Formats: sequence, C-alpha cells, structure tokens
Amino acid sequence: MLADDRKCTGSGRRGSAIGAGALLALAVSALALALPAAARVRVVASTTDLGSIASTVGGEAVEVIAIAKPGADVHRVEVLPSSMVRVGKAQIYLKVGLGLDAWADQIIDGSRNARLIIVDCSEGVDVLEKPTGRVDASHGDVHPSGNPHYWLDPHHGGIVARRVAEALARVAPEQAAAFQSRAEAFAAACDSARARARARMEKLPSRTLVTYHASWVYFGSTLGLEIAGTVEPVPGIPPTGRHLDELVRLIRARRVPVLFQEPYFSSDAGEFLTRQTGIRVVKASPSADDVRPESYLEHFEFLVGALLGSQPRS
Amino acid sequence: MEGRSVRARAVFAVVSSMAAGWGIPAATAGPTNPNISIIGQPFARITDDAADPDRERLQFDPGEVELVFDDYLNPYAKAFFTLAIGTEGLELEEGYFDLVRGLPFGLALRGGQYRVGLGKQNPAHPHAYPFAERFRVLAAYLPGEEAYVETGVSLSKLMALPRDRSLTLTVDGLQGDSFRIEREPSASPDDPLADPAGLGDHGIETRLAVNGRAALFSEVGELSAVELGATVAYGTENVAADARSTVIGLDAKAKLWRTPEAYFLLQGETLWLDRPEVTWETGASYATSPVDAFGGYVYCDYNWARRYNAGVGFERFADPAPGAGRSNGFRAFTGLALFEETTVFRLDWERFDPPGSDPVNTTTLRAIFALGPHKAHTF
Repeated sequence: MLADDRKCTGSGRRGSAIGAGALLALAVSALALALPAAARVRVVASTTDLGSIASTVGGEAVEVIAIAKPGADVHRVEVLPSSMVRVGKAQIYLKVGLGLDAWADQIIDGSRNARLIIVDCSEGVDVLEKPTGRVDASHGDVHPSGNPHYWLDPHHGGIVARRVAEALARVAPEQAAAFQSRAEAFAAACDSARARARARMEKLPSRTLVTYHASWVYFGSTLGLEIAGTVEPVPGIPPTGRHLDELVRLIRARRVPVLFQEPYFSSDAGEFLTRQTGIRVVKASPSADDVRPESYLEHFEFLVGALLGSQPRS
Repeated sequence: MEGRSVRARAVFAVVSSMAAGWGIPAATAGPTNPNISIIGQPFARITDDAADPDRERLQFDPGEVELVFDDYLNPYAKAFFTLAIGTEGLELEEGYFDLVRGLPFGLALRGGQYRVGLGKQNPAHPHAYPFAERFRVLAAYLPGEEAYVETGVSLSKLMALPRDRSLTLTVDGLQGDSFRIEREPSASPDDPLADPAGLGDHGIETRLAVNGRAALFSEVGELSAVELGATVAYGTENVAADARSTVIGLDAKAKLWRTPEAYFLLQGETLWLDRPEVTWETGASYATSPVDAFGGYVYCDYNWARRYNAGVGFERFADPAPGAGRSNGFRAFTGLALFEETTVFRLDWERFDPPGSDPVNTTTLRAIFALGPHKAHTF
C-alpha cells in the first residue's frame, strides 16, 4: 500500500505543463492528507503485549491486531484461517519467540505473504532459565531456548520497542525518527515504572510468592521477588497430590503470602492451597487486555497492585 | 499375521533408534536435520461381531506407527513425509511439498502424495481424532481403502471476506488410483478378466481425477468459530467400462468455547456417492448398474480442563451396492491426555447395526503416544 502511495507521488512530478503539474501536485497533496488512515502500517502481533508496544511506537502510523486473545493461553493458540487472512494483509509480524508462539509459523505460512517482515522480539532480551544440560520431555514443557515470558519485565518492553521501531522504519522510513523517538520514550517509561514498582516492593513483609506456571519468572526477577515454588511440578504438568503436600509444607515454612495463577488453569489446586495454608490466590493473565498503547504498562501496574493488595495486613 | 507384526515391531525399533541418533528434540532440527515425530497407536479391542474369529475375546494390536518428517526446504517451501508402519510393513502414507509463498495471486501449491481435502475428517491423521476409530461411512464412500490418499497437485487460494470471514478454494488434479475398483470376474469365457495375457479392464492405465473444495470460515464471538465446506470428487473406477464415480460432500464444524479451558466441538459430514457397479455381460459388453448412496455422520465432543474429553457420535448410511439396506452406528467416547498429544488414551464404545445382520458392539481402548515436536492444531 505504501509503495502504491509513493507511485502516486512520483507520477505527479512527471507532469509536463506547469499548470497541470501544479493542479496534480495539489491533488496529490490533498490525497496525502487523506491517506494516513488508509496507509497505516499493518502490524500483527502474537500477543496483546507486543501489540500494545507496537501501538505505542507506531502511534497513528500503525494499525495493530493481536492473534492470541486476551486472557488466552499463549502456549496453545489454534491456527485459524481468519488469522491467516489478517497476517496476509500485514506488513510486519511480531513474534514472542523462544518457542512460545511456534504456532505463529503455521499462521505466517498459511497467510502466503511473501513480503511480511517477521520480527522475533526475544532478540536482545536477557533470557532467564536457559537449560544448561540435556532437555527432554521428562522435564515437562521446557523451552530449550529459555523461559519465554520476558515481556513481564518492563525493561524488556523497552528492548522490544526498539526492535519494533527498527521494523517500522523499514516499512515507513520517512517516519523512522518518530518511531525511534517514541521507542526511547517508551523504554524510559518502562524503566521508570519498574523502578517505582521495585520501590513499592521494599515495603512488602514477604518477598516470596508461589506461581502456578513458570510464567512469572521475569515479573518476580525484575521486582526482586523470590518464586519459592510452582503448583505445576514441571512446566505444563498438572499438580499431583504429593506435590501439593510438599507445596503446603513449603508455603507454611516460608510463610508465602501469594499465589499467582493464570485464569486458564483449574482453580482446584489454588483453592486447596488456600484452605490448607491461607495463601491468597491472585488470578491474573500474563498478557495485557488489548493492544492500546497504554495497555502494556497498565497491565504491569495492575499486576504490581494485585501483588501489593494481596498481602496480609500486618 | 504374527510374522508381519514382529516385522513391524522390528522396523519400528530400527527407525526409532535412527531417530534417536538424529536427535528428536525440535532444537536439533535445522538445515540438515528435519523435525521428526514418531507416533504409536496400539489398541485393545473386544467385540461381539459374529464374523470376527476373536469375538468376545480381548485382542491387542500394535496399531499403526506413524513417522513424520517435516521442515522448510527453503524460504518458500516446506516438505512433509509420513511413513506408516503397520501389518503391511513400512509404506509411504504421505510425501509432499508445499509452496507456501512466492506464487502469484496468493496461491499455494502442494505436490506429491497426500490425504486429499474431502471433508474435515479425511485430511486429518487418525491420531488427531477425538475418538479411537473413524466413522465407517468414510471407508464406505471415499475413494481408497484406509483413507483418500492420492498423488497429484493442489492449488489453493485463501480469500478474505467481510466481517473477518474467509473462503478457501482448493482444486486438486490427481492420479486417480484411489477410484479404481476391481470388478468381480464373471463366469463368461469372453470376460477380459478371464484372459491372463490380456489387458483386463485396463486396470494399469490411469485416468485423471479431480477434487474441488470450498470452505467458508467465520469467527463467532471472541473465541468460537464455524466452518462450512463443500467438496466434489470425480474419478474413473473402471477404465475399460468408462465408469466414473462422483462423491459430493457437505461438512460443518463448530467449536464453541464455554470458558478459556472448555469447549464443545460439533462436527458432521454428509456424503452422496454415485458409483455405478460394473459387470461383464456375455456378449462382449460391460453393464453398469446405478448405485446412488447417501449417508453421513455427526458427533459432539466436550473438552474440559485441557486434558479430558467425552462425546457421542451417530452415523447412518446406505451401503453402496444395488439393493443394499442402511447401516446405523452409535458411539460414545472419552479421552484423557496426560500432556497434550504426548500421551493420550481414547476409549470408544460403538454399536453398529448393519442391514440384514445382528448389531455389533465393539469397545476399543487406544493409546496414542508421540515422540518429538508436535504442531499447533489447525481449525
């Protein structure tokens, strides 16, 4: 679409008569003013978090959608023809990477979009939990390249923003400076949000938490929290009675106040742990609600607030 | 039979060790090593079928082992190979390439041997079914024995429609081998099948078959979706008699999510078969009797807690033979997935009521276990 726009501008310059050229230039200028809505860069992101970052960096110049629905398990996304159609119209695809959204490859292939710029947003982030030894299925759903939930550290949000700015600049080079500027401002806002959250964590009586899945490793790490255990004995495997017994002992011994759980997992284990130990369960999605520019940091603030609000009153 | 089973196990052991040597985890796939998956599907069965010599005795069967190799060939194309190890030994079930980008008009091209897209169930591999056995109407009506698998080329186009709907159009040009039906020899001395030196019914000749499909997909609300499809398949069943078969199918699938961890799946197909029966008549001529048959299946499957499913299914179809009656089948099924597709157990009970004989009750427990990477499910 942008290429077509540039062709229109070029043809205007080839007018031979001065009057006709002036009229054409006027028409092209009017067209250019009317175009932004139609000529926006189309970005598809695997998740709402990446989509929100793209909306922030791209501003009015982008049109963003996310494939995984808010609150859905990003590990398990069904490949739909409608997703392929959306990617078929896009210029940029933002992947989480690290094996989390491997389904995106099937959608991208199905879209038949040969011009798509695919951005692996995990490049450049500080990956945690990289397996050092042999990894096999006895370790559960371990990602061989490391824990992929890096967007829950806002510092990584800034890194992703810079990658998105580079990709947008390839499609709309005339706006590269604006993209870069917004990415830097966003990175600063992310670091600032992280610093504020860390300061609030100083007041916590206990800086330990238990999580259902290993989704919250980056969130805990960036806030200086210790994740004492997970409800899943190994990633992706539901808890056994024996594992829950061990967890009850651990929660009591360490006086862990909070369990973070994704909404798409069964509530049974959390309710059992609450009955046995009094631990408070925070049900929260690891992903932002939508792709609005504000959503990414709003979601982080929400998680911090939920963590603080779930602490027992001393 | 026992010898074949031992041979199948031996081949499986050899290929498994080869795969282990190559490195099954996805992380080791790359320019030289494709993704490799091995899927075992052994089952235990008990039936009261009077025609089964093992009736009312528990039978164990190693089932079919699938070996799947796939990866990108280059930035534009992917390749897939599925080898099946069963009682017949090792055979190629599928081997094809997909040109996924770079063609004009957003077309995609598939070439090789593949499960033809007739309806929703035929293109899917059996391990992906929510029950232990596929519906009998498919075996009765679709070309081919186990499934409608052909060699040929397929062109498809995905089109965007308003309101997030899409239409996929697919046309296949196929070798047509699956359509061939071997005629029963007659007692007539001038029957071409009676001449061992002759060409018979020209069974070794090929005639092109075609398959065309249109599938309309629509999202429903935030998570749910519906797909409606129509397929026409056309091929030659007997070259010498110039007898041709047509299968017309209509299918529907709806996936309705109740919560982020529970959904209903409703799926059904109706099939109409026009497959004339060919005979040889004394006097050096072929005769054809029209066979028009209609049937279909429908099932409902409820999935919850990411690992359990339970459902019921029903099928009814006219047997594709002149003057034959109708068969009815009812089934109830349930399943447990320990962790996605890595280890799945499927338990079916089926009551099948063929025309002119007693109903048959069959209970099947199938274990499906898969080594190696598995892909996301396509709607």
